[in-house]
Amino acid sequence: MATLVLDNGAYTAKIGYSQEKVSVIPNCQFRSKTSRLKTFTANQLDEIKDPSGLFYILPFQKGYLVNWDVQRKVWDHLFGKEMFKVEFADTSIIITEPYFNFTSIQESMNEILFEEYQFQSALRTNTGFLSAHHYFHNKPSELCCLVVDTGFSFTHISPYCRSRKMKEGIRRINVGGKLLTNHLKEIISYRQLHVMDETHVINQVKEDVCYVSQQFYMDMEIAQMKGEENTVMRDYVLPDFSSIKKGFCKPREEMVFSGKYKTGEQILRLANERFAVPEILFHPSDIGIQEMGIPEAIVHSIQSLPEEMQPHFYQNIVLTGGNTLLPGFRERLEAELRSLVPAHLPVSVLLPANPICYSWEGGKLLAHHPDYDEMVVTREEYEENGHCICEEKFDI
Amino acid sequence: MVLEKKGSARVEAGQRRVLDEATRQRRLTRQLEALEKDNFQDDPLSSLPPPGPTARLPAFSETEEPEKKKRKTRGDHFKQRFRKNFTTLLEEENLSEKPEPNYLSATAPPSSLPPRHFCCVCGFPSHYTCTTCGGRYCSTKCLCTHRETRCLKWTL
Ligand SMILES: Nc1ncnc2c1ncn2[C@@H]1O[C@H](COP(=O)(O)OP(=O)(O)OP(=O)(O)O)[C@@H](O)[C@H]1O
Ligand SMILES: [Mg+2]
Ligand SMILES: [Zn+2]
Ligand SMILES: [Zn+2]
Repeated sequence: MATLVLDNGAYTAKIGYSQEKVSVIPNCQFRSKTSRLKTFTANQLDEIKDPSGLFYILPFQKGYLVNWDVQRKVWDHLFGKEMFKVEFADTSIIITEPYFNFTSIQESMNEILFEEYQFQSALRTNTGFLSAHHYFHNKPSELCCLVVDTGFSFTHISPYCRSRKMKEGIRRINVGGKLLTNHLKEIISYRQLHVMDETHVINQVKEDVCYVSQQFYMDMEIAQMKGEENTVMRDYVLPDFSSIKKGFCKPREEMVFSGKYKTGEQILRLANERFAVPEILFHPSDIGIQEMGIPEAIVHSIQSLPEEMQPHFYQNIVLTGGNTLLPGFRERLEAELRSLVPAHLPVSVLLPANPICYSWEGGKLLAHHPDYDEMVVTREEYEENGHCICEEKFDI
Repeated sequence: MVLEKKGSARVEAGQRRVLDEATRQRRLTRQLEALEKDNFQDDPLSSLPPPGPTARLPAFSETEEPEKKKRKTRGDHFKQRFRKNFTTLLEEENLSEKPEPNYLSATAPPSSLPPRHFCCVCGFPSHYTCTTCGGRYCSTKCLCTHRETRCLKWTL
């Protein structure tokens, strides 16, 4: 029997069979200005030649699955003959959900997996559980780990003691990559060029030029300097989707510091935006969100746990989710934690090679675990017992 | 909105409106809500002229996929339960009566660090507060821009 692992993120689905490698695919639908009648699903995004003004139809709201029509379209496409060719009667699925998922969403999930698709068996779990499993697999002597997952919708800090989720220590910060992109879009639109409709393009700008500052106020000073001294400043050439397919930063030696470019490309000039935007993860209050930033929330989480375990958590922090790819993220987090945590306690923050798929890889490992068959609910069991058996077995 | 560079700013000190705390808070809430939006533009599909007097555009993506292989139970997810938004679902969870930890109690509490202030025009550290709206600014130049563009916007 095959096992399909699906980390069902609000931005991308991380999906693949447990014997194969992972694919990262947009978990949404799109419409474009150039072919307005057609709706593109998931990786059909690649068919859109001019994604300017790209319109998103997302199944998630604030990280929770609410738009089932869209989710079903994406899953039909992923499970179908063009992609994973799932033989439902002979396939087990591992699928992820957010922490504290609402009861009605959980029930809809059971119904769709067992009654509509009719998977042979299913394991519904949290993304962090799979990440913790991955971590303990690589470090079998450790007992505790703190999973930081900062993706599209929000950021979660979740402590695991082996396979046990320490619920009382979970913290959620309502800042994720979606908010960062929207904020960048907003300030660029106010300061230089109207880009409010260009989520897709500006998201790429974010991923290409943003970074986490190590010395925030010093970078602010540099970003304010004139001319070549301003080593923070970048000129980003926007794509026009005909001759320039993908945006990029002007090489330093081609930058024009005073006056205009004669090349006619459309340019965004970015200075403090590069690091002030990611800074919201560390200081949500910078834009008026009254919540702790990641370092403070980690300490807050760990301090709510039994004292004898606390040192173990500080030493086993693992970063997952797309935002941890921002250059400087790990270093800054470790440095801030170092200054917040008592000096005698070692602090160690691990950034895995692929933080976006770390959880999926954990699911893949779990599928091969000797106890896997005991963790799932089979379709037969569901048909006999309904939602209760899922509630009993799955720790969401 | 693109920043317009106008020559002179109308800085009529002394007689400007001052927004009260509730208005300032509402404005902040609206700004933060905007950061959750999926799109700012209209759906390209909705901006098409109606195809004809009787034809009706489907709500979602039914337009492609000529073969409509629907499962028997497809009607299911048009049931009420599948059509609720986040706020409704959250209310239905009735968390104030459920044991902690839950979705609400897991929210990170406010920071104990002092707030930092940035110019709402240029984004650099700021030392001054606009007396009208409470926004921050760093220089006379930015204050003028602020007053010409955003100071009294979004105050509903
Ligand atoms: N190199 C990068 N630099 C900065 N941000 C990035 C990078 N790569 C991805 N991201 C951002 O990470 C976010 C997606 O992360 P991830 O795939 O972990 O989210 P998700 O699992 O789909 O969402 P969620 O966990 O909230 O349901 C997006 O906002 C994306 O812009
Ligand atoms: Mg995720
Ligand atoms: Zn300023
Ligand atoms: Zn003002």
